[in-house]
Amino acid sequence: MIAFTDIVGMDLAKQALMLLAVDSELGGVVIPSAVGSGKSTLARAFADILPEGTPFVELPLNVTEDRLIGGVDLEATLATGVRVVQHGVLSKAHGGVLYVDSISLLDSSAVSHIMDAISRGEVLVEREGLSEVHPAKFMLVGTYDPTDGEVRMGLLDRIGIIVPFTAQNDYRARKKIVNVVLGKRNEEDTRDELKMLSGFIQAAREQLPHVSITKEQVQALVQTAISLGVEGNRVDIFTVRAAIAAAALAQRSDVDEEDMKLAIKLVLIPRATRMPEREADSNDAPPEEEPPPQDEQESEDEESNADTPDAEAEEEQKETPDMIEELMMDAIEMELPDNILNISLASKKKTTTGSRGEALNNKRGRFVRAQPGEMRTNKVALIPTLISAAPWQETRRRDSKMANRPKTALLITKDDVKIKRFRDKSGTLFIFMVDASGSMALNRMRQAKGAVASLLQNAYVHRDQVALISFRGKQAQVLLPPSQSVDRAKRELDVLPTGGGTPLASALYLGWETAKQARTKGISQIMFVLITDGRGNIGLQATFDPNAEKAPKEVLEKEIESLSLSIQADGVASIVIDTQMNYLSRGEAPKLAQKLGGRYFYLPNAKAEQIVEAALSF
Amino acid sequence: MISSFTGRQVSTKRSIMTQTETVAKKTAAKKPAVVKAKASSTVTATPEPKKAVKPAAKKKSGQAFPFTAIVGQEEMKLSLILNIIDPRIGGVLVMGHRGTGKSTTVRALAEVLPFIERVEGDTYNRTVDQFIEGEEAKKGHKAIDPASLKIEKIPVPVVDLPLGATEDRVCGTIDIEQALTSGVKAFEPGLLAQANRGFLYIDEVNLLDDHLVDVLLDVAASGQNVVEREGISIRHPARFVLVGSGNPEEGELRPQLLDRFGLHARIITILDIAKRVDIVKRRREFDDDPDAFMKKYNREQQKLQKKIQTAKELLPTVTMDDAVLTDIAKLCMNLGIDGHRGELTITRTAFAHAAFRGETVVTMKHVKEIAGLCLRHRLRKDPLETLDVGEKIDRELAKILGEAEAV
Repeated sequence: MIAFTDIVGMDLAKQALMLLAVDSELGGVVIPSAVGSGKSTLARAFADILPEGTPFVELPLNVTEDRLIGGVDLEATLATGVRVVQHGVLSKAHGGVLYVDSISLLDSSAVSHIMDAISRGEVLVEREGLSEVHPAKFMLVGTYDPTDGEVRMGLLDRIGIIVPFTAQNDYRARKKIVNVVLGKRNEEDTRDELKMLSGFIQAAREQLPHVSITKEQVQALVQTAISLGVEGNRVDIFTVRAAIAAAALAQRSDVDEEDMKLAIKLVLIPRATRMPEREADSNDAPPEEEPPPQDEQESEDEESNADTPDAEAEEEQKETPDMIEELMMDAIEMELPDNILNISLASKKKTTTGSRGEALNNKRGRFVRAQPGEMRTNKVALIPTLISAAPWQETRRRDSKMANRPKTALLITKDDVKIKRFRDKSGTLFIFMVDASGSMALNRMRQAKGAVASLLQNAYVHRDQVALISFRGKQAQVLLPPSQSVDRAKRELDVLPTGGGTPLASALYLGWETAKQARTKGISQIMFVLITDGRGNIGLQATFDPNAEKAPKEVLEKEIESLSLSIQADGVASIVIDTQMNYLSRGEAPKLAQKLGGRYFYLPNAKAEQIVEAALSF
Repeated sequence: MISSFTGRQVSTKRSIMTQTETVAKKTAAKKPAVVKAKASSTVTATPEPKKAVKPAAKKKSGQAFPFTAIVGQEEMKLSLILNIIDPRIGGVLVMGHRGTGKSTTVRALAEVLPFIERVEGDTYNRTVDQFIEGEEAKKGHKAIDPASLKIEKIPVPVVDLPLGATEDRVCGTIDIEQALTSGVKAFEPGLLAQANRGFLYIDEVNLLDDHLVDVLLDVAASGQNVVEREGISIRHPARFVLVGSGNPEEGELRPQLLDRFGLHARIITILDIAKRVDIVKRRREFDDDPDAFMKKYNREQQKLQKKIQTAKELLPTVTMDDAVLTDIAKLCMNLGIDGHRGELTITRTAFAHAAFRGETVVTMKHVKEIAGLCLRHRLRKDPLETLDVGEKIDRELAKILGEAEAV
């Protein structure tokens, strides 16, 4: 077990956890970091700096709803004949830490329950005849790898601190240091250091109620939140708390500029949705113009502040904007790259939040809960069925209607039957249809592949499925049936040969067939991504008969039109990425997009991100 | 141990959110007596005092932030208040940015609610008439003399429906404990029974499971909850004001459910610095010493509660000119709103709004102030329309108001 003090690096994450240890009302810390950076080691070591006996509960990703919230304890109930309640993980973490590794992979219903528990500070158990309130006030610590996808904004909103995701390359190097250092350390050193740190944090906790923050400082923090475009007002409270906790850690009774910078860095910046503009004239203003004497005055008696003459108050007001500006820019510039939007979770979020492609169903996915339902068409959840039948045995045996049932059997009625509900994460199927005809060789095949590759990457993040169809020569061909293997799709794409005619109708037909098959497997959202110049010149007939005569132009157009309309009517979304050279275009691809009711992009102009966004926001 | 935690795990029997302190004492003084009306056959209506929902005896599970101390978000606050004055408005849907105090406000509502009367210990919160009707309808039950019933006053209930609730807890089911211990089939009322004549609140309503939405739609339409299970059949009134909140980014609301809400309040991040500083200040004050903070707002809370009660009493005397009604109908027509729920909601809301302002005649001024709340979610979605829904309503309103003035 590696102790908190033994971990080298991840300073910001450590600082974040220390602030949380000082003020549990900060709600929690989320640490995004690359694989192997030691983030989970650090999170688990967090227990070291908390008072002894503080609960530390780790939440498994595959937790079921009843384990999370609580429910009837089957064994105890059957043994005693009295309904016995089992507390859920959320309430077990009460008064301590709930740790979730890979928190971005947690399914959305579990996330909703955690959000609910945080906002209430308790869990309402209203299930299976139970009606209870279990206290569940905990600190949430979550770690995740951003390449796995992001954490839902609703959850982040209820957590005070998000460690900015920066300099992850450093972490690997630093992990090595951990190992090196570990080899040399002896246990006694570790113990002493831990003891010291714990004492330090204990002292900070005692200092916490004695720290004061001035109105101007609060104003500055609020102004920063607004300039960064942070959503919501709850965040202000977290920022102020973080600044105060930082001051308490330093055993001060006033919040100073460093505390505020740290708060901005850990609370506001990761939620920024825009880069604040530094006003041109702010450089002219003298940089150091804070009023430390006023701070002292205020800490003496905050109430007396109301009595200060208006003139003085106004002067303070005038000074604040500069102070704010400086503070904010310093904090932002100090260690963040030029473009904060690269590290800001909030800005990336907009297109990816929500339960896109995630739905409860009765067939596949992860088993989340049992509920009453029809036995014949669903999978029966045996244990929950037995639980619900168990209490009635005595009553039913007395019931005359059941008298002819055998004495030894368990009396189960259809009311008892519980079916399994699953949650399926891979709801969306992207069918890529890549034109590999001769004309495409001219038309930026490489660029097309680039666009597809970034879409594929995104599909992976969301655990969507992808299929790949190429069309050249006489007919279209499924290169990759629906699967989650993005790597395979990429490989197939890399070796895709080009040349020959453009059997566009055949591709549409094959794509539609693939879509219909996927529907029967419970995939409801399907999107075509067509990469083509839109100039079909091989008829559908050729798909079935290689020796068929070349179809006339009118037939070709008619085929494409009726197929497109049917596909649109079937609820399949599309985007068409036009690869045509400008001077050759006769507008075939835009027409195709229109008939499909889809979005149109002209590849040379379209950026890969735009296409990805379009695909995700349908 | 971290100071703000209570440490040991405790579990408490849950009941309804209620007004704290003074109210609690008032009702707790009268111990609920066993209701005489026992049901026939094997079904007992569980009026046992032990099991009955006792709104007054709730443990204080984390004090709610006082309603009157909430800064800004006037639209949401007004919507909630108007629904207290006239529950027939049909509830509020509060949608908007994260972290803007949606659930804080709704949970604060309990403290300013007026009182209703019910037969002592009646778990279904029925009116006296409903109680008599319901109990007499039971097989082999004798007529009940209204004079023989003990009446108690309880605060309007606010029931919180958590996302993880199962259908049996929402609708009610057979009391397992009684079945286990005595082999008797007794009905244990669910959240819908508790919410009768009160508020049913669903946070993150857009994430509610489909099967629960179905139940709610069904009950909201009929005002009745019907449970058939283990050979018993229970039917009880379940009329409640549906309050939902959520963030539109997290998911869409089903159109049928959207249509059920009378009002739609929007809530956005407050950008006024002074207000935000004030929010921080009040929150910190509250967290430091909730009791002192509550005390500070006690008078305002009582004032608001009284104002609402006065408005409720004033409501039956409020009148509206036919010309105003015509204008309302015109507005809905011009906006192309399907059905008549739009007009109905505007009219009721305008009445309540006038009453809240202590006025007895509804004018277009009242209508103007609440039209957006009533219609926003009823406009047909037009993908080509670039105009904001609110602006569109305002524009049509201005037209009608202009016409009215010109005449």
